[in-house]
Amino acid sequence: MNIEIRDLHFTYPAGVQALHGISLNIASGEQVAIIGQNGAGKTTLVKHLNGLLPPTRGQVLVGDWDTTKHSVAKLAARVGYVFQNPDEQLFSKNVGVEVAFGPRNLGFTGEQVHSLVKDALAMTELSDKTETNPYDLSPTWRKMVALASVIAMDTPIVIFDEPTTGQDVMNITRIAHVIKALRERGKTVMTITHDIDFCAENFERVIAMAQGKVLLDGKTNEVLGQDEILATTYVEPPQLTRLGKRLGFKDVVRNQEEFLAALKK
Amino acid sequence: MAIVEVINVTYKYPFTDSPALQNINLQVDEGEFVAIIGPNGAGKSTLCYTLAGFVPHFFKGELTGTVEVAGNESSQSTLHEWVLNVGLAFQNPFNQISGAKYTVFEELAFGLENIGVPRDEMRARVEGALELTGISDLADRSPYSLSGGQQQRVALASILVMQPKVLVLDEPTSQMDPIGTREVFGVIRKMAGQGMTVILVEHKVEWIAQFADRVIALKDGQILLDGSPPEVLTSPILEGSGFGISRYTSVARRAQELGLWKKDRLPVTLDEAVEGFSLALTLRHSLWSQRGALPSPTGGGEQPS
Amino acid sequence: MNAFSMYVARESGLHRLHPLTKGSLSLLLLVTGLLLPGNWTSYFLVLFVILPVAYWGKILRNFIGIVWGISLPFILSVVIIQSLFWGKGTPIFEFWIIAPKQEGAIFALVSVGRIILVMAGFILFAMTTRPDTLMISLKQVGVPSSLAYIIVTTLQIIPRFQSKAFTILDAQRSRGLETEGNILTRARALVPIILPLVLSSLVEVEERAIAIEARGFNSKKEETSLIEIPDTNGQIILRRVFIVITILTIIARVTWQLLK
Repeated sequence: MNIEIRDLHFTYPAGVQALHGISLNIASGEQVAIIGQNGAGKTTLVKHLNGLLPPTRGQVLVGDWDTTKHSVAKLAARVGYVFQNPDEQLFSKNVGVEVAFGPRNLGFTGEQVHSLVKDALAMTELSDKTETNPYDLSPTWRKMVALASVIAMDTPIVIFDEPTTGQDVMNITRIAHVIKALRERGKTVMTITHDIDFCAENFERVIAMAQGKVLLDGKTNEVLGQDEILATTYVEPPQLTRLGKRLGFKDVVRNQEEFLAALKK
Repeated sequence: MAIVEVINVTYKYPFTDSPALQNINLQVDEGEFVAIIGPNGAGKSTLCYTLAGFVPHFFKGELTGTVEVAGNESSQSTLHEWVLNVGLAFQNPFNQISGAKYTVFEELAFGLENIGVPRDEMRARVEGALELTGISDLADRSPYSLSGGQQQRVALASILVMQPKVLVLDEPTSQMDPIGTREVFGVIRKMAGQGMTVILVEHKVEWIAQFADRVIALKDGQILLDGSPPEVLTSPILEGSGFGISRYTSVARRAQELGLWKKDRLPVTLDEAVEGFSLALTLRHSLWSQRGALPSPTGGGEQPS
Repeated sequence: MNAFSMYVARESGLHRLHPLTKGSLSLLLLVTGLLLPGNWTSYFLVLFVILPVAYWGKILRNFIGIVWGISLPFILSVVIIQSLFWGKGTPIFEFWIIAPKQEGAIFALVSVGRIILVMAGFILFAMTTRPDTLMISLKQVGVPSSLAYIIVTTLQIIPRFQSKAFTILDAQRSRGLETEGNILTRARALVPIILPLVLSSLVEVEERAIAIEARGFNSKKEETSLIEIPDTNGQIILRRVFIVITILTIIARVTWQLLK
């Protein structure tokens, strides 16, 4: 399912203009990371995709749907949004019921819900915790429950808002696996992130934003090689990219494999 | 001179089966900067609470062993006496704002009001803490109107103003964006530089490697390693155990297996990695040029001396 | 409304009064308005005491807006319930099963007056008193720290709750929860919003409790304060008078009830 953003402008009710004319297309199955400092407009942009915010000017199309013509609850069938704080959505008596909430709302049959939940729990390593109360789990596992809750909705587009903030290495690895699994299923995955290494290792396309505009938009290696421009928005390149640059590599490297390959040359 | 002594501490939270901390033995000298790393659930926060007296006074549960700071023992004193020994700050700056005060200045004074510090001394201490943490220009702002990095510095200042002997920080940058992280690390570094005894729980190993005196690796409630940053952070024990290893270390380890890293010690920081890889490339380049094969230069690297 | 409390800063005599003076005044108005006989006492107090005081505090326009805004839902519920369910009486008009009675209408108006009085009394106080100075003055008269802290931070917590509630609302709508439509739909949306609100707040409350303990809160030591709150002998006497009148009113009312 494609996403089309046409000349999007957005001003908050208090009068602050957060987006100054963004136009982008995101094709079905793309993996896109959005980076930039706080206040650049990343969350504002992404909240237009599931209708939480309506454009002040311009248009946002998700597939053939104009976001202003459908409620957020209806758009949830096409766009899954994983919020940052799992505690601000968990409320069910156990993990299974919690994860079933989304698909039930979307009108799947009992059988479909059951299999969607089972699948989502397997993807997030929660299968053995189905009967546990989410609040009896550590924050690490509550994060996974929040992820599972959205995955179970089986939406063609999934958006993650700062998924790695406050997470340890093991959870970040789990999240990366989930993203990979979603990619293999042909989902469009978008993320807002500060973690530039996580971004480099898991996403093919990077959009850098600053002050409500798109600063850079392209393949990960291209964008992350542009240190000077990125520096203006306080983004430091990923660790291995920096190393490669200091060692004088011709190509921009973004993960271990690329680095070692360039090293061998 | 050891200012913190933890001797054989084992602790179990109420209503749990397994201990959160097992046989912890650790000593920290005055002025040392110790970093603690470990996966989530390792007991890092529990250890912080134990050092700060919240275990056992706030959380109850079963504590065996002793925790001593500056000669005082935590189980023998009340929590309120203990917080003057050990200051504690943690991840979420928002939850550390008292909510009872309107300006940053007053927020800092809150702690001093509680312990009965006279007004003049209060002002002096607050001004000192504001300067130390670089937030003097925020003194009249509402704590709730600040950015994450600013709020976290307010939280740090609120603890520093109490003049604790030891500062315990539980992942103070986990919720920060890059700018906030930089601001908070700046303050911590300054504190450590001024001789404050700092115990910091962190995931960002590259920074720890540059500034900590010592690193302790914690897992499943036990201390796995305790030594200098280069020793601990490049130890193979950490690989694949849920510890946040520097990518420089990981890639150098892989390169070592492929014969592309020649030094004995693995790097943790960017500079160490650059040095090591440049060396390896130079050696290889000179080896090849000896054999008469000259590959296209990688350009920008170090020239053979 | 300020982001974290209802306090509105102004240069006025009312603002400069000691917090406890204002508090005891509000309490007095509340008690007399609710307990004194006469259906229209509340309206009288609101119009001839509270509004002029609000004017003196230079907050009149905001004040009226806020009081009206907060009272409205309560007023509507009272009017609706009284109109529908008042028992015997003389109907004003009849429409299907709705037959509001004169007696019901009068009762509703009286109740509305009381609601407005309670809201106005509280809001007058909240808008002109800084929560932190209130906390200090409460502690000075011996209110235990924890109680004073709870009172003061509750005021700050309300906007925080509100913003959290909106985030939760967004998160649940993004999971397909319908929130627009008939009453039944909206009722179903309550639990997925209120429960996470309460649960996540509990997590925060524990962290905050640790944070303030780490700063010596409730340490049983003699406390000092950074700010000095101006007070006058006149106000001290006035406060005592207010409290006495309040107590007498309560006693009078209770006695009257018992003697009936």
